[in-house]
Amino acid sequence: MSNRAEIHKRNLDKVFNPKSIAVVGTNNVKGTVPYDILFNILKTEFTGVVFPVSPGEKSICSVKAYKYVVDITDPVDLAIIVFPSAVCHLALEQCGQKGIKGVVIISAGFKEVGEKGLEREKQLRQIAEKYDMSIIGPNCLGIINTDPLVNLNASFARKMPEQGNIGFLSQSGALCTAVLDYALAKHIGFSKFISFGNKVDISEIDLMYYLMEDDKTKVILLYLEEVTDGRALMQAAKDVISSGKPVLILKAGRTEAGASAAASHTGSLAGNDEIFDAAFKQAGMIRCDNIEEMFNIAIAFAYQPAPKSNKVAIITNAGGPGVLTTDAAIRDGLQLAKFSEETMREFRKSLPANANIKNPVDVVGDARADRYNIAMNGAFRENDVDAVFVILTPQSMTDIETIAREVVKVSKQHSKPVYASFMGEADVAAGIDILLRNKIPHYILPESMCRSFSRVYRFYRDLDKGPHPQHIFPDVNKEAVHSILNEAIQNNHLYLPEDEAANILKIYGFPVVPGKLATSPDEAGLIALNTGFPVVLKIMSDDIIHKSDVKGVAININSVEEARNAYTAIIDQVLQIMPEARIKGIQVSKMILSGEEVILGIKRDPSFGPIIMFGLGGLYVEIFKDVSFRVAPIDEIIADSMIRQIKSYKILDGIRGKAPRDIAAIRECLMRLSQLALDCPQIKELDINPLIVLEEFKGSFVADARILLSTPTAL
Amino acid sequence: MDKEEIKSRVKKVTAKVLEIDESEIPDNANFSFDLGASSMQSLLLVAGFQEEFNIEMDEEKSLEVQTVYEAVDFVSTYL
Repeated sequence: MSNRAEIHKRNLDKVFNPKSIAVVGTNNVKGTVPYDILFNILKTEFTGVVFPVSPGEKSICSVKAYKYVVDITDPVDLAIIVFPSAVCHLALEQCGQKGIKGVVIISAGFKEVGEKGLEREKQLRQIAEKYDMSIIGPNCLGIINTDPLVNLNASFARKMPEQGNIGFLSQSGALCTAVLDYALAKHIGFSKFISFGNKVDISEIDLMYYLMEDDKTKVILLYLEEVTDGRALMQAAKDVISSGKPVLILKAGRTEAGASAAASHTGSLAGNDEIFDAAFKQAGMIRCDNIEEMFNIAIAFAYQPAPKSNKVAIITNAGGPGVLTTDAAIRDGLQLAKFSEETMREFRKSLPANANIKNPVDVVGDARADRYNIAMNGAFRENDVDAVFVILTPQSMTDIETIAREVVKVSKQHSKPVYASFMGEADVAAGIDILLRNKIPHYILPESMCRSFSRVYRFYRDLDKGPHPQHIFPDVNKEAVHSILNEAIQNNHLYLPEDEAANILKIYGFPVVPGKLATSPDEAGLIALNTGFPVVLKIMSDDIIHKSDVKGVAININSVEEARNAYTAIIDQVLQIMPEARIKGIQVSKMILSGEEVILGIKRDPSFGPIIMFGLGGLYVEIFKDVSFRVAPIDEIIADSMIRQIKSYKILDGIRGKAPRDIAAIRECLMRLSQLALDCPQIKELDINPLIVLEEFKGSFVADARILLSTPTAL
Repeated sequence: MDKEEIKSRVKKVTAKVLEIDESEIPDNANFSFDLGASSMQSLLLVAGFQEEFNIEMDEEKSLEVQTVYEAVDFVSTYL
């Protein structure tokens, strides 16, 4: 943990549980942020002492005001700065002199406005470091702690949220106000609600660690617009998750900007969002597509116990919704529990003759609360059931509110999770309100209910898997590769074509197809003869990335004569299409006749570091985009999951009588690639395309590769 | 007009806009941090200086002026 992180850890308790607060820069103008912040703190009956600091005022909201924060004689734990950005540094300096350790800067006008704002942030950071202070913000909504021992709403949100066990972290202040409004309508409570804005000092990572240790927080929700340190975020998420708290993330900006200019397939395919997706998944975070999905899953975690398995019982008063729920459950990887004879005997005795007593249980359209009671109790007692889904459709005889109260009552008598879907909107509203007030997760659509339960189940299922040991291959020569790469960079030779890339891969233990560079037709014939027919001939030039595009490849060459002719033909064709190309020669390689072509690659991301890619290879890789990504390092389990993730996995596993391919050989190549990526930061992008994978136990061959190096300044 | 006179008239406008006594305004006072000028009052200060000195100031640059000292220097560039 860095020094600053340790300081934040110490100071954050004072930020969220202060005994005294100074609102620095407040004023008497109602309806402005400086006034509303103070007013909200007073309105929500903060349990500590508040000191308004306002140079022009004697008092604000009937509370004595101070000209400067240093004029306050009592100790102050937290300062909320609401001055204009141009003078925030003056206020912060005085907070430091006063010995205040926790600061929230609400004011806007920092890096979001450009160069001048960036300078102001730099100034704030320097002052914070000088006095060992911790700053949340600037450019944020503020912070909220619903703990009744604190009761702190130091924000300009309209209302205080309900108390609960969800910790919400957001980079956007405006989104916070919308989320608070949404949550109030659904009785969703929060433990801490934190808008961290421009994260000049305290980042989402510090706050995640704080919430990890916060007893009042059971689940952490994170809204992010930019990831500054991807690896640190992944580590924080792993730490939080291994403590048993799920992390749900909503990341804005699912665009592909930046990927189009890449020189390799990997660079082109690894857009920002694919990398975020891979990194979040690898760290165990649950990525959500929108706020609704985020809260659907959050309330499931927050309100109900962890399910022991994915076996559910569905109780419904209508056949159609029962079938829909069953479909959704199966689609999301859940199982319908099997009822014992005893349970079915009980249902047969107590439910109407036309009721379906098997799972899904249909208590029939005229069902009232008593039938739901019987079905729920029966399902809860059943050993094979680990969660109960209650479905209700509002029919003329359905007593919705009574049934909702019955669901609440019965669920309190058991320790298994209960989820509900009262389908509709207007008629079921009062029933839904009862469910939500009593912490029964409710979903308008059964599909959302199944999906949410499935995410919860998978989170707890995967919780104990933990990290796997990293395999380090000893048969590599890191120093030799460094020497080659550094020399290339020194000579501004940043694109390494196949022959040079193959040499590096050989040093890292990759099985490279036998072959050699020829510089004349006769030499091509001789190399072909020595290599053994058939062979492939490929143009080698620093100026040519996609060899097929310039007719620079000849395959299935079966004699010395054919090799000589192919050499001449390739040179002629390439020079016709690209007369300026600097040609090194032609690579003559053994042609591998049978095998599936896959692609492996490296891309270096500014935030997450080296990313490893795997997918179905060949010419059409960028069309089908059937690829998977992970952040290096990757172990055997991760490598295996990358292989199994692609849609074409069935082709590798053997289809229509074809023998399965050597998956173990791919795994090894992926792990070697991960090691190469971590060992050699000089490599910016790398493609192995194709790696030809033979039948099981027969290995694989690198048939083509290219490497793009970083410029010296980028290292 | 010499700087002393400009300063005196800057303080006069400031006292009027912020409704404080001129004697409460030190030469190095920061309009927001020391005198509590709100963003609306900052606009009124700019308007007040323009009227007092019969000048038209660059609005964006004038809002960057933070202290009495800076205001004196800024106004003097228009005289």
